[in-house]
Amino acid sequence: MSSNNVYVIASSMVRVSRYFSKSYKDLVIDVVNELSSSVGSIDIDYLIVSNVFSDSILEQLDISTILAQELGLTPKPTLRVETGESSGLTAITQGYSLIKSGIADTVLVVGVEKCSEFPTPTMNKHFIKFSDYEVESIYGLSIVNEVALLMKMYMRKYGYGRDDLSSWSVKMHSNALKNPYAQLRFLITKEQVVRSQVVSDPIRLLDMYPVGDGASAILLSNRGDIVDNEVLEIVEIAQATSQPLNLREDLLSLPATRTVFNKLLSKSKLDLNDVIIEVHDSYSILGYLIIEELGLVERGRAPSIIDDLDNVNLSGGLKARGHPIGATGVYQVAEVFKIMTTGLGGIRRDSCWGLIHNMSAVDNNSVGVLVRRCSC
Amino acid sequence: MSKDLSVGIVGWGAYIPRYRIKALEIASLWGFDPQLVKSLNIEEKAVANVDEDATTMGWYAARSAITRAGIDVNEIGAIFVGTESKPYAVKPSATIIADALNLPNKKLASDLEFACRAAGEAIRISLGLVSSGMVKYSLVVGSDTAQANPGDVLELTAASGAAAYVIGPKEGSVAYFEGSYTYISDTPDFWRRDGSPYPLHGEIFTDEPAYFTHIVNAVKGLMREYSLKPEDFDYVVFHQPNGRFPLKVGLELGFTEAKILPGLLNPWVGNTYNAAALLGLAKVLEESRPGQRILLATFGSGAGSDAFSLVITDEVKSRVDKAVKVTDMLMNKVYIDYGRYVKFRKLLVRV
Amino acid sequence: MRLSIPRFWRKRFDYYSVRISECLDCGRRFYPRRSICPYCRSRNVRVIPSKGIGEVLTYTISYYRLEGYEEVIPKIIALIKLVEGPVLIGELVDVDISEVREGLKVEAVLRRLKSEDPAGLIYYGIKFRPTVG
Repeated sequence: MSSNNVYVIASSMVRVSRYFSKSYKDLVIDVVNELSSSVGSIDIDYLIVSNVFSDSILEQLDISTILAQELGLTPKPTLRVETGESSGLTAITQGYSLIKSGIADTVLVVGVEKCSEFPTPTMNKHFIKFSDYEVESIYGLSIVNEVALLMKMYMRKYGYGRDDLSSWSVKMHSNALKNPYAQLRFLITKEQVVRSQVVSDPIRLLDMYPVGDGASAILLSNRGDIVDNEVLEIVEIAQATSQPLNLREDLLSLPATRTVFNKLLSKSKLDLNDVIIEVHDSYSILGYLIIEELGLVERGRAPSIIDDLDNVNLSGGLKARGHPIGATGVYQVAEVFKIMTTGLGGIRRDSCWGLIHNMSAVDNNSVGVLVRRCSC
Repeated sequence: MSKDLSVGIVGWGAYIPRYRIKALEIASLWGFDPQLVKSLNIEEKAVANVDEDATTMGWYAARSAITRAGIDVNEIGAIFVGTESKPYAVKPSATIIADALNLPNKKLASDLEFACRAAGEAIRISLGLVSSGMVKYSLVVGSDTAQANPGDVLELTAASGAAAYVIGPKEGSVAYFEGSYTYISDTPDFWRRDGSPYPLHGEIFTDEPAYFTHIVNAVKGLMREYSLKPEDFDYVVFHQPNGRFPLKVGLELGFTEAKILPGLLNPWVGNTYNAAALLGLAKVLEESRPGQRILLATFGSGAGSDAFSLVITDEVKSRVDKAVKVTDMLMNKVYIDYGRYVKFRKLLVRV
Repeated sequence: MRLSIPRFWRKRFDYYSVRISECLDCGRRFYPRRSICPYCRSRNVRVIPSKGIGEVLTYTISYYRLEGYEEVIPKIIALIKLVEGPVLIGELVDVDISEVREGLKVEAVLRRLKSEDPAGLIYYGIKFRPTVG
């Protein structure tokens, strides 16, 4: 086992939005330029790109090479990662692995996604690809339908009314006000959540992530001293998969996510209230279930602690910061990095630990990363 | 002539979609006098849902027929689908239904076209196949999502439905065929050109020269060949383009209204084309008693009619409740308005 | 051509009726059929036909707009437990929103799933409707 440490030494993002006038190449050049302007020139050994819809929407394969050409990074090797909605964080774990194994000293991880290239019904056709096509998508069954079934079962089991489950979205929008890179930067009320368009009853439009474009970049290195700013060390990574929802024993549990959290927290005894946490709240109900799996609150009680939550999804989460699918995981790391070092807009915390969770569909797979501020 | 082919109906099945639209609703939209609706003895018609077609409806009826027959599907040697609303102009519905029901690969299969009587002809073909020993069982399906030009009088009755019959040896059948007769001529009373979404018809020409001439000749031909008289029959089921013609032709042939009404579904279901007479027969089978004799007379534009004489056996009673009954489906209904009807029948052009 | 011919054709028996798997080692039953048991990883798995009858455990009314599936909105999607045991997610048809309830008895029926109109293939598959009679 190599003694290489892996550090997150720099990050950059663009605001999540609909960029009709910018291509995926434009967005990537923007974030890489910003990275370069903050850390100067650093020799990159590997480029990892997280982009989910490269062949579905962009008619492009080998997109990591195309971007390497565009960025002038040739002849360096590249790799594209795709594990559904968790591609971003998986890309980080792959970068981690390259450094840990000594294959690379410095890895540039870029997440990019262009969800605004087509109208929503067309994009929705692609969003359902995170389920088994031959079993669900071919029938026109969507992930949002599965999540709706979960939400109903959760409400039934714990006796919640529709209103009771609106607090997550409200909180996320409130958090996002302070994040200059968030897509949705306006306050909402619980009434607005409940009155927003029905997507799949009981899920309303304001219960789920908005559609947007984004790009984010993370610089990983085996040395924490090559930049002036504070850095974070990646202390632990974890990934897990699980069988589809209809095959699970307990439909309200997230088995892959639980496995990931257990592994992340197995070696470090942490008080979760002191950790800067970013979780995959693609839908508000999943946000509740995830923090219950994390152990922040007992099962069925998550809605009651949301108002007081002040260390989870400070970015606004997928709900308000946005979910540019393949880029999301990279955004999460960039946000935790900034919150714990230079500041994310007005958000800055002295915490020593950061925990990032990225997931695909309803916990088809789950990825986690635990980071520690080196100066702690 | 008396020739016992030793062939009978081994099982029967039906399918009527859940949705109905009232004839008066269509009439009022297109300016038809309510008196016309009344005179045609029509009330409402069945409408297939947007994800149904002749294949899916035929499948349901066929599955019920096989269940009632209680046979091993591997012994079905032929499947015929009589329809004039094929989802594919070229590619048989028969093979889709066959694979969906796990029929063996070794079999005859095809879709037949002769307007509303193709399934009836398939029954006659099956009599030959079974009696010759070429196949043990033959599955006949009549299924249509009937088309009509919006605003044409035909739209008052053009409906969706399916019926299916397993034809097999007389031994073990619920009704055996005493005789059959077909009368055909080239009579263009109603047709649909290739590529045309809706048929055209000769209006009054479809009555005397077509429907009445062919049914009367087929029925009289049957009764003559098998020395049968109207009084010999307990039920008579006709092809039913509206609720009036079966009563008119039946009375003309010497049958009483009481024998015609049990098999007359058109007022409640509409004209289901290939399934029309066969659904009437299914309902009658579900009410019949051993020993009763049934006359079945199909009609298809173009034109032709088959007449069959069937005698009910002791087997029938035990099979009725093995699958969904016609009366259950008649009562399982939900009304829709013309807007939903247009959507279900895909009468709008969408890109 | 957008709808693949062989891709649907080779699995047509799985689309035309409900077929479930039973693991001969751990005894679990599941849908859809697999050649490897998702619970105990045994290869000792056999296919058994299902009656296609089950009950609704829970359901959602979906207004989600999917390109290619816009003919039927809202869709009713349900979590269904088959009488043989396995749970699956399926679409309910021929039922009004006001009639759906937990415990509703349903049966599998063959319906059109999608088609490449006007000239392409039609995919047929299973949906669920309330049992009649």
